[in-house]
Amino acid sequence: MSTPSENIATTSDDVSVDTMTDTLEGEQDVTYVEGVGNIPRDIYKLVKSDPLGDLPRYSYHIVIQHFLTFITFLVLASTGLTLHFSDLWWAPYVISLFGGADTARLIHRVAAFLMVAASVYHLITIIGGTLQKVSKKQFDIKRTQIPGLKDLKDIVHDMKYFMGKENYRPKMEKFMYKQKLHYLAILWGSFVLITAGTSLLFPETMATIWPNAAFFQDLARLMHADEAIMALTVIVFWHWSNVHLVPGRFPLQWSFITGKITREHQIEEHFLEYIRNLKEIPEEKEYMKKVLKENGFETN
Amino acid sequence: MEMQEVLLNRIKKEACGIIPFAAKTPLLLAVFCLLVFSSMSADAADNENCLMCHKYRQIGRIDEEGKKRSYYVDENIYANTTHRNVPCRDCHTYITKLPHDPITEEVNCANECHIKPPFSKENFSHKKIIEVYNDSVHGIKADDPPELKSAKPHCKYCHLNPIFTRVEEERIAFDKTLSRCLNCHEKKGVTQAYKHITHRLRHKTSRSPQEIVNLCAKNCHQEAEMMKSFNVSEESLEAVETYTRSVHGKSVTLGSEEAADCISCHSTNAIHDIYKKDDKKSSVHAENRTSTCRQCHTNVGDQFARIDVHSKLDPHKKPVLYYMNTGLAFVFYGSVFGLVGLMLIETIGRRRDGIKWQIRGGTTWRGFSKLKTDIKKILNR
Repeated sequence: MSTPSENIATTSDDVSVDTMTDTLEGEQDVTYVEGVGNIPRDIYKLVKSDPLGDLPRYSYHIVIQHFLTFITFLVLASTGLTLHFSDLWWAPYVISLFGGADTARLIHRVAAFLMVAASVYHLITIIGGTLQKVSKKQFDIKRTQIPGLKDLKDIVHDMKYFMGKENYRPKMEKFMYKQKLHYLAILWGSFVLITAGTSLLFPETMATIWPNAAFFQDLARLMHADEAIMALTVIVFWHWSNVHLVPGRFPLQWSFITGKITREHQIEEHFLEYIRNLKEIPEEKEYMKKVLKENGFETN
Repeated sequence: MEMQEVLLNRIKKEACGIIPFAAKTPLLLAVFCLLVFSSMSADAADNENCLMCHKYRQIGRIDEEGKKRSYYVDENIYANTTHRNVPCRDCHTYITKLPHDPITEEVNCANECHIKPPFSKENFSHKKIIEVYNDSVHGIKADDPPELKSAKPHCKYCHLNPIFTRVEEERIAFDKTLSRCLNCHEKKGVTQAYKHITHRLRHKTSRSPQEIVNLCAKNCHQEAEMMKSFNVSEESLEAVETYTRSVHGKSVTLGSEEAADCISCHSTNAIHDIYKKDDKKSSVHAENRTSTCRQCHTNVGDQFARIDVHSKLDPHKKPVLYYMNTGLAFVFYGSVFGLVGLMLIETIGRRRDGIKWQIRGGTTWRGFSKLKTDIKKILNR
């Protein structure tokens, strides 16, 4: 079981398992919230949620940044892939959609500039937001994308759960291990793609900066293509499946427009963040009390 | 009669509606002239009437090797080619009587023809550029083996006639273009002449980069077996492949007009002066490379000129990059299959726990009985 965070009372450790032969079956996990009652870990199976989202998750800055990245990424991928695979049969058809190779190269550069701008915008939001929270003494490292040992434990715990060896999913923060993995991959990928892309766009200038221009230009050619294809493959086969196809998210997770997450989803994958919301939002307290009462759990 | 007058009057009235009829006459005349003259074919230089026979479409024979040969000359096409003003016998000099004997000789482009370029008193000839060409790596040398001699391209291999390729303007700077004119023409008066023909030469060639690459690659530099027999370096055996994988090659393959083709780098403005890269005269020789790159790239430094243009990840020459590439492949497949696998395990686990695959609304979890938290146990605590 995951270790409960300091400010959240949990009764999971006190539950006796004496009568059960199978200890797994006997484990109970409930979290006590002042003014609401004991909240079972798997209450997400009983709540109702608005598909458009119930609880806040992203600020409008993040929503705008996602849109900018989303659109520029598609443009960059379609122009870049076509130029990279220029010898394949479909390449001339796709390139003609963009108005020829030279125009496609120009479009790729404009989109790249916009994506870099979105990245800078994101960094400003993140750094500025953190400073603001630190000054207000609201900063909590557990709510950030910074990975920790807990994420490793969560992966192991979650795998056990998926294989039926745990009763509950781990209690995770605002960003779970999947999101941290993806976010760090994007940070690294953007760094590589922007550096290598700059080398490809301004080879003359970069040749004066790199210690060994001949090597680094070859490296840039290799890394730019490789990193881009990896990013595209991961986005298409993993990210899109995760937000569109998997049960509970089908046909679309609306968070990228509304900035809100559904109650069901937050309790399931971001339980600790939900408890935080529960304490702060009176309406949510009322709703949770109602759900507990209807299902026969004790409430305060 | 009355009817005719009435009709005539009506026509006149209508025609004079805006402009008086008399004022329309020169306009009509102009339109008439345009129609008539545009339908007439341009006059090819055929004072000796070679077309008397060669105008027939079926004129030809089957040669000793059983190949069909056509001797037909389409007057309309010929009249639109570069050589339209050159009489036939200026090139086909070996024809001295009519009807002429079977042709055994090839046309020699170094011949003088009876055309005088503007501002020059001498007859025109391609001699000057042919001298440059003969000195280049493609020129036939006395000590070449016979196979190599026959494999080397002649003028007509690249310069097909007619050339209809449309040329986009605004590419090459004035002084560069002018230096190209001086490949053939005398300096005197060439500046004035330049103004007449700028549209023809704004590109390095009138061919598209794609056509240039095809001409060099097809049947020749692409044919590794054939090139091997000429004892060329390993790099040049792979030159076409490495070029098409480079950023220049990829852009040109997709029709870029900006990216470098073969002769952008391998020749100067004389176009025909292609040498092996160890030759000091070569535009890609280590000493000349900076100025060659400078044709397109600004701020070219020594470091920049060292960047590999025909790059290949060879395990012997570039071991670090080669093994890095292999490593990246592992990272790629590892992360893609790892993440997709994670998603599958996740979905199987959640499905087993009761989530439904449905359009979301209210809840996607079904069944109170699936709740693992036992109410009684909590209540009894």
